Amino acid sequence: MVESMAKHLKDYLKNCEWEKARYSVRFLSDLVNCHVVSAGSLIQLYDTMMEAALEPNTPQVRRDWFVYAILSALPWVGRELFEKKERDLDRLKETIDSYISRRVKDHLVSLRVWTGQTLHPQEEYLECLWFQICKLRNDYWQEKHIVRPYLAFDTLLSEALQHSLPPLNPPRHTESMVYPMPKVIFRMFDYTDCPELGPVLPGAHSIERYLIEEHLSQILDQNIPERKECAAALLAFPQKSKVPLEYMIIEVILGELFRLPTPQYLEIAYGSLMIELCKSQPSTIPQVLAQAVEILFDRIDTMNPSSFDRFANWFSYHLSNFQFKWSWYDWTPCLEMEQDHPKPRFVQEVLEKCLRLSYYQRVVDIVPKEKNFEKLLPPKPEPRYKYTEDNNNVDPVVVIAAQNLIASVKRKTTPEEAFLTLRDLPNPLQEEGEPDAPYNPLKIDVLVQTLLYLGAKSFTHAFQALAKYHQILKALGSYEEAQICILRSVYEIWHDHPQMMTVLVDKMLRTEIVECSAVANWLFSRDMMQDLTRMYIWEILDMTIRKMSKRVAKLERELAESKEKLKAAATSDGSSDSEAEYGRGRKRKHGVDMPSEKPTEEMIERMEDKVEHAQTDQKNLFLIIFQRFIMILSEYIVRCDTDGKDFKTHWYRWTLGRLQQVFLTHNEQVHRYSDTLETLLFTSDVDSHISETFKQFLALRS
Amino acid sequence: TRTEQERALLQTTTLYVGNLSFFTTEEQIHELFSKCGDLRRIIMGLDKVNRTPCGFCFVEYYLRADAEMAMRYVNGTRLDDRIVRTDWDAGFVEGRQYGRG
Repeated sequence: MVESMAKHLKDYLKNCEWEKARYSVRFLSDLVNCHVVSAGSLIQLYDTMMEAALEPNTPQVRRDWFVYAILSALPWVGRELFEKKERDLDRLKETIDSYISRRVKDHLVSLRVWTGQTLHPQEEYLECLWFQICKLRNDYWQEKHIVRPYLAFDTLLSEALQHSLPPLNPPRHTESMVYPMPKVIFRMFDYTDCPELGPVLPGAHSIERYLIEEHLSQILDQNIPERKECAAALLAFPQKSKVPLEYMIIEVILGELFRLPTPQYLEIAYGSLMIELCKSQPSTIPQVLAQAVEILFDRIDTMNPSSFDRFANWFSYHLSNFQFKWSWYDWTPCLEMEQDHPKPRFVQEVLEKCLRLSYYQRVVDIVPKEKNFEKLLPPKPEPRYKYTEDNNNVDPVVVIAAQNLIASVKRKTTPEEAFLTLRDLPNPLQEEGEPDAPYNPLKIDVLVQTLLYLGAKSFTHAFQALAKYHQILKALGSYEEAQICILRSVYEIWHDHPQMMTVLVDKMLRTEIVECSAVANWLFSRDMMQDLTRMYIWEILDMTIRKMSKRVAKLERELAESKEKLKAAATSDGSSDSEAEYGRGRKRKHGVDMPSEKPTEEMIERMEDKVEHAQTDQKNLFLIIFQRFIMILSEYIVRCDTDGKDFKTHWYRWTLGRLQQVFLTHNEQVHRYSDTLETLLFTSDVDSHISETFKQFLALRS
Repeated sequence: TRTEQERALLQTTTLYVGNLSFFTTEEQIHELFSKCGDLRRIIMGLDKVNRTPCGFCFVEYYLRADAEMAMRYVNGTRLDDRIVRTDWDAGFVEGRQYGRG
């Protein structure tokens, strides 16, 4: 059995199943306690792993794993090794110590929930565990959490035959191996936050904190598909009387929710779990959660934007399940703060999200009447149609054309005919000295605004209007500048309704009225600058990048599948005539390419072209986005310098944080183009504050 | 037939959503359900006579996996202070949006 476990470990390593491999190491270590495995051979295993950790020219993320796997097993077997192999254990400690002190930690900054080193340091995961192990060692390896059923059989087991572990040859590093990314340990409570009379929260460097957190995360992992059972399992934690359990549960869940680059599960999975916890234990959980929200809000000044977004999304969702009851009154001080400060921004974004889940009057009713909360209330989500008869700021000729268009649409004439009502509108570009202007921004604006105005009643109405005029809109947007005009018109009419803007852009991307690159350029355009510190802008950008990534992934998957089929067909029997005949027959019958059919070389070539094309689009999208970030940030820094002002303002922090967010959220996709980004954009000319984010991003995998 | 119906339910990406308030809008439903994935469309249930919302709708996802997430994490939680009930639906057919008036 020992041999088969050791073989499993090797296979896990080969297949990059790092968590399983880590648990195997831990299990093998625990077997020393029951005298199944000899202490000496476990030390040998650790030595081999340390050799792998010290191997030069391998990524740090790989080397870290070996050290982490040893450290995470030591709480199980430390005492036994201390008694039997103290010198070896000391030697191991020295090696790890020097390893830890020489590590590069460039990734740390970008993975912290809070950039400032607040009350509770956000420690790097390996370093934190190392401190915990050192403390454990100083306590003579005594810990109080691990369940050790074998103790009852100690006399029996002590006579058992001990086995040696077979030597482990860790598979060598190859380019295709993916290692776990570094993490930061999320901490928001210490013992002073918990009730005085209850059990004491283990300190940040006590091994119990690590063991219990890990245990709770495991319970979460195993039960998350069934949120009710998950809540019950967490609350039934075996040693619940020894720790302030509610605090530890909430800390673990919020830590997972805020985890960077991305949480493991859907955000709503954590949200609905917390609702369930509140319902299961209404006497304690709601208070602990409220306390947590206050603490998070207190420290929001330096919270990174990814965590900020998730916090706002979760909190508004949570409130929507509990009648929006909250002590809003306590947050009135933020009414006095400047607009871009994270505190008023947070309240504003939460209320905006509450509005999306309820309705305008409800949000007006939940905030305190007597205070000036209107400042932070979202505007009423109504359209601002420009071409009404009473708008004196618009040329009457244009208003008449727009009114004719409305009448024509309402008469249900064909879209082509309706569009003719705009044929005489002047082209502002021509008047500005561009006689060959290929598109007419005025026509676009009148058409888009009018269609959206007529379809303002609901998403479905708006979608129907877009669908009916799809051909015309598509033809109008044959230039990227024209697509940006379309997007600008969406903003003009719907800037008070960010959700509407988001779904409209989504729809326009899907129906190919606008392209991803146009959306990116529009978001960074001068018109949108005043909204750059708001969440919805980044929701739209994120959605745009995801669309592109999905398209690339889909084409790549299809290509891989076809290649696979071609290979399979080639190896089966060299494709006999009858088979080819059969294939053709089926094709005719269904009128489409059957997925099971053997692809031809030409088909594969065509698919390869498509994939390449999509990848180029994706690369260009990232180039646009990062170039825009570099431009606006550099300009800002230079402008502040010439004005003799400090550039580290709220605006700067927000924008730099959003740059970081794009790197983190889409790290897998961005990673493919790191070289291009390095040579074209993040060069030595770029201000070091900006290029630092790129360096941090690269450190995630180095 | 019954087996066909059962097979359809195992593959569908559409959910029937019930116990909504008559005032709950498509926008609210979109906001809540899109937390589980991209939505293909929402069809509001309407009163047969007045053509006004009457407490149910169909939510269709692009992906089955996303619909499963909604069954897990939205079903039984609140929207407009009412407990939302979701169930698999074999797929929307024109005409089914009209409830019993």
